[in-house]
Amino acid sequence: MRCPRCGATLHTRKPNSLARTWALVIAAFIFYIPANILPIMTVTSLGKTQSDTIMSGVAYLLLHGMWPLALLIFFASVVVPLLKLMILIYLLISVQLRSPWRPRDRTRLYRITEAVGRWSMVDIYVVTILVALVHLGNLAAIRAETGAVFFGAVVVITIFAALTFDPRLIWDSLEKNHE
Amino acid sequence: MNDPHNDNPAAAPLPEVILEQRSRFSLVWLIPLVALAIGAWLAYKTYSEQGPTITITFRTADGLEAGKTKLKYKDVEFGQVSSIKLTEDLSRVIVTAKLIKDTEQYLTEKTRFWVERARVSAGRVSGLGTLFAGAYIAVDPVATGQRTDTFTGLETPPAVTTDQMGSRFTLRAAELGSLDVGSPVYFRAIKVGQVTSYRLSENGQTVEIKIFVNAPYDQLVRTNTYFWNASGFDVTLDANGVKVDTASVVSLMIGGLAFETPINLESRQLAEEGAIFQLHPNRQSVQEGSYIHKSHWLLHFTGSVRGLTIGAPVEYRGIRIGQVIDVKLEFDLNDFTARIPVLIEIEADRFQWIGASPDYDNEQIFKQFQKNLWDQLIAKGLRAQLKTGNLLTGALFIDLDVYPGSPPRTIVWKEPYPELPTVPTSLEEIRNVLTKFLEKLQRLPLEQIGTDLQQSLTALRQTAIEASKLTHQLNTRALPEATARLKQLQTTLETADKALTTAEKTLGTAEKSLAADSPLQREVQRMLKELSAAARSFRLLTDYLERHPEALIQGKTR
Repeated sequence: MRCPRCGATLHTRKPNSLARTWALVIAAFIFYIPANILPIMTVTSLGKTQSDTIMSGVAYLLLHGMWPLALLIFFASVVVPLLKLMILIYLLISVQLRSPWRPRDRTRLYRITEAVGRWSMVDIYVVTILVALVHLGNLAAIRAETGAVFFGAVVVITIFAALTFDPRLIWDSLEKNHE
Repeated sequence: MNDPHNDNPAAAPLPEVILEQRSRFSLVWLIPLVALAIGAWLAYKTYSEQGPTITITFRTADGLEAGKTKLKYKDVEFGQVSSIKLTEDLSRVIVTAKLIKDTEQYLTEKTRFWVERARVSAGRVSGLGTLFAGAYIAVDPVATGQRTDTFTGLETPPAVTTDQMGSRFTLRAAELGSLDVGSPVYFRAIKVGQVTSYRLSENGQTVEIKIFVNAPYDQLVRTNTYFWNASGFDVTLDANGVKVDTASVVSLMIGGLAFETPINLESRQLAEEGAIFQLHPNRQSVQEGSYIHKSHWLLHFTGSVRGLTIGAPVEYRGIRIGQVIDVKLEFDLNDFTARIPVLIEIEADRFQWIGASPDYDNEQIFKQFQKNLWDQLIAKGLRAQLKTGNLLTGALFIDLDVYPGSPPRTIVWKEPYPELPTVPTSLEEIRNVLTKFLEKLQRLPLEQIGTDLQQSLTALRQTAIEASKLTHQLNTRALPEATARLKQLQTTLETADKALTTAEKTLGTAEKSLAADSPLQREVQRMLKELSAAARSFRLLTDYLERHPEALIQGKTR
């Protein structure tokens, strides 16, 4: 369907929304595994080299009593991406099953997901800033590891997945005839 | 397609939407496929880089952290500790480590693991880097040997790792002294190796010290090389004075060994890896020698053994062949006599055997020929004797020598030690002779002699008095008479003098008449000449007459 005036392709709903979202969610899930298993950062200080994954970093902070920071990182880097993916999967399934259950709340859920998603990048920003700042050779050096790349990929892909999802689909099931 | 630049859009007919048939397959599905591919690749990579998992037990996990502590070889990462647990009996710590790929071949029973921490000893400082970076588990991989994946970690780092070139040798010593693992081994005061380990031998008699000599110095170790303990001071006080022998300051603190290959009659072949050497307690005893194969003998002395100490030399014609092991005192309860058994050892390696099969080594020869050899020697008059070795200290030694004139004795072959016959000490002999002499002297009737002497002296004095009286008598009575007689004698002598003068005159006259130029002499001479002329004439006449008898009648013819 094209706009007769400008020729732009027109859609009543985002095209192919479900399939695209599914694809991106699956991709994000796949990247989520290495993002959490692989170290995101290697800290070298005074000859002592230590690689940390997200969870080991959180554990380290907790062990040293910095639990507010630990909680922040835990939520921003572990819980939020996972929650986002879960919410998207739930929305996708509910749309596909044409569930008429509380469409208003589901839409709100979608809005929150979309808004919160980008904050997961906090972790990546911290890593990049540290890598750029701490370059003192053997005394202290921080390097980004492959885990950070995958984590970044997870965050970006989930943002796109949220974008490709069309919340109007939630309401479509309420109408008897659709499209 | 409709014209987008219509002047009057309202007038234009309502555009028709164009429905396009879209392909069923969306390209968006490539994203998860790519993600899957990357994930699969990562999984494969992780799996393929997965090295073997090993367990190492340590006494303590001091400085080790699960997930952080690395295993390193030459400071290259070899693996990482994945977990640390205690054994069930809580005696040790089990460290599980994941190694990097392709390390399986180095996991043999000879591979060693130890925790590298900062260590400071007198000899060296090591592992300073671990002060900041934390401890790590060092690996000394050995590719040859039985494969295994459970190891017992060393508590102290090995002195020598496998990648070092050199040779290992074993030393046997009576005691460890001040040596320790890591004690240096010197050759001409150059550090060429170190002690790697030590242990007590199985019977507890000796200490076995393993050393490592770095290449190329291991070529200096020959079969006849001497090793000695160069630790600390070696102060010797003997008849030559005070002698202090010391190696480097380091060896003063942590001990040390030294070796030297003498130029002597023994073979100088390259020592094999793992060869066993004797460790001499000091350099002095190297010269004295120290030997492995020994035989023990019992000697019985009756005289004093003051000055005979344990370790005193046993010599045969001035060459040391052994030493004193033990000295005791025995009392015989039957006849209450004392005797002193002395146990000596004779070192078989001291002898160079000539005329034996080359297949035998010294020990075999010694065992095989010992009985026969010693019987023969004793039969020839071999005896043991105590002799003074050092006049200053009065130290004694045992001298074995042949005394051909000594009364025949034999070896008492009994267990545990055969007994060699002895002869008394030369000092003892002198003492015996002296005692006998003194006894004789004591038996002399000295008092009698004194009395006799006194009597003789009294008699002598009386004689002297009598002689004096006689002289007096002679002076008073005989002298005037003698004077008269002398006067008479003088008169007689005067008369004789006169007679002699007369005789002299007579003789002078006679001399004058008999002198060569006297007339009598000349007359006699002439007469004699005449007489000889007459005789000649007469002879001529008789000759002529004999030939011409007719001349008597006819006369002389012409």
